[in-house]
Amino acid sequence: MAAKDSPLKQFEIDPISNIELGGYNISFTNSSFAMLITVLVITLFLTLTVNTRSIIPSRMQLISELMYNFIAQLLSDTVGDNGKRYFPFVFSLFMFVLIGNMVGMIPYQFTFTSHIIVTFALAAVVFIGVTILGFINHGIKFFTFFYIPGVPFYMHPLLIPIEVISYLSRPISLSVRLFANMLAGHTLLKVFAGFVVSMPFFTGVFPLAFIVALTGLEILIAFLQAYVFAILTCLYINDAYHLH
Amino acid sequence: MPQLNPEFFVSQLFWLAVFFTFLFVFLWRVSLPRIATVLERRQNKIDENLSSAKELQEQAMEIEKKINDQINKTKLETDEKIKETINALQENVSSQLSSLDKDLEKKVSDAEKEILKSKDDQMKNINNEIVNITKLTVGKITDIELSDNELNKVIETHKGNFN
Repeated sequence: MAAKDSPLKQFEIDPISNIELGGYNISFTNSSFAMLITVLVITLFLTLTVNTRSIIPSRMQLISELMYNFIAQLLSDTVGDNGKRYFPFVFSLFMFVLIGNMVGMIPYQFTFTSHIIVTFALAAVVFIGVTILGFINHGIKFFTFFYIPGVPFYMHPLLIPIEVISYLSRPISLSVRLFANMLAGHTLLKVFAGFVVSMPFFTGVFPLAFIVALTGLEILIAFLQAYVFAILTCLYINDAYHLH
Repeated sequence: MPQLNPEFFVSQLFWLAVFFTFLFVFLWRVSLPRIATVLERRQNKIDENLSSAKELQEQAMEIEKKINDQINKTKLETDEKIKETINALQENVSSQLSSLDKDLEKKVSDAEKEILKSKDDQMKNINNEIVNITKLTVGKITDIELSDNELNKVIETHKGNFN
């Protein structure tokens, strides 16, 4: 595959400035730049729109409040009252993934959520945090999480390993879901964009129309994956409180 | 696939940690409390307005009750006054009627007395006429001069016949 036209070329990381710290390469790259933009967009939007603190909100303030209420509702529906203290974390996670995906939808802009290392790091934070939380809440009893009550005893040798494996694969499924969605979506867009150029005469409008439709779908997926990431985090937090 | 190239793994993780931590702390400490304050203030305002609306409604109901009481009271008072006036008028009318009756009775009795008196007078006149006529008639026929007393006596005895 020619590297120049590869649909995967968009995922390549280009250092903007080379930085090295303690022997490690921590260059500020286009991925870092996308993260910077994401963080700036979120913080500036959520700060400036609520700056007036109006009782009767402006449209922009209303958007911030809707996002706030959306995640607050999600958390209280899945975890209940215990969930309130994790609200800032879940909200940050949701906004980071959502705006990261949205920033990636801007043409020529890098999508950091299409990198498995990034999504895996986020998922690992959730996984490790939730496991620690489970041990804090239940101590050694947390291991009974893998024991399913009401099942015939001879099934346990089979079910307990399955439960353990499914628990351990949580960070993988959580990260791969987001990563694969972003990777596939952006690759598909790029492939069809190639068709627009390479197809003869006016026939290029057909893949172009497809790209327009696909862009809409991708924006939907960008939201959906952020939502899924947030709701699964909520469910895992709930599991740390309520064993079977 | 560039995603599996470990060359920039550390860089990505480092900047992810930096930016996500910043985002988390910033939202936790600055943005979210702000939104929460706004939402709380709005809820308080709504609650306040609702409670004051309730209070006003109660006051309105109280005033309405007072108005109704006043109306009822006034109605009763008016009824009483109307009754009193009717009674007074009736008394007045009946007393005037009775005095009129008395007047009429008096007038009637006076008239009756006059009638009786004039009747007596007429009867006396008739008697005198009868005496005179009888005296004349008897004088012309018999040349007997009768005294008035004798004639009166005779007439008294025959009075029943021409009455």
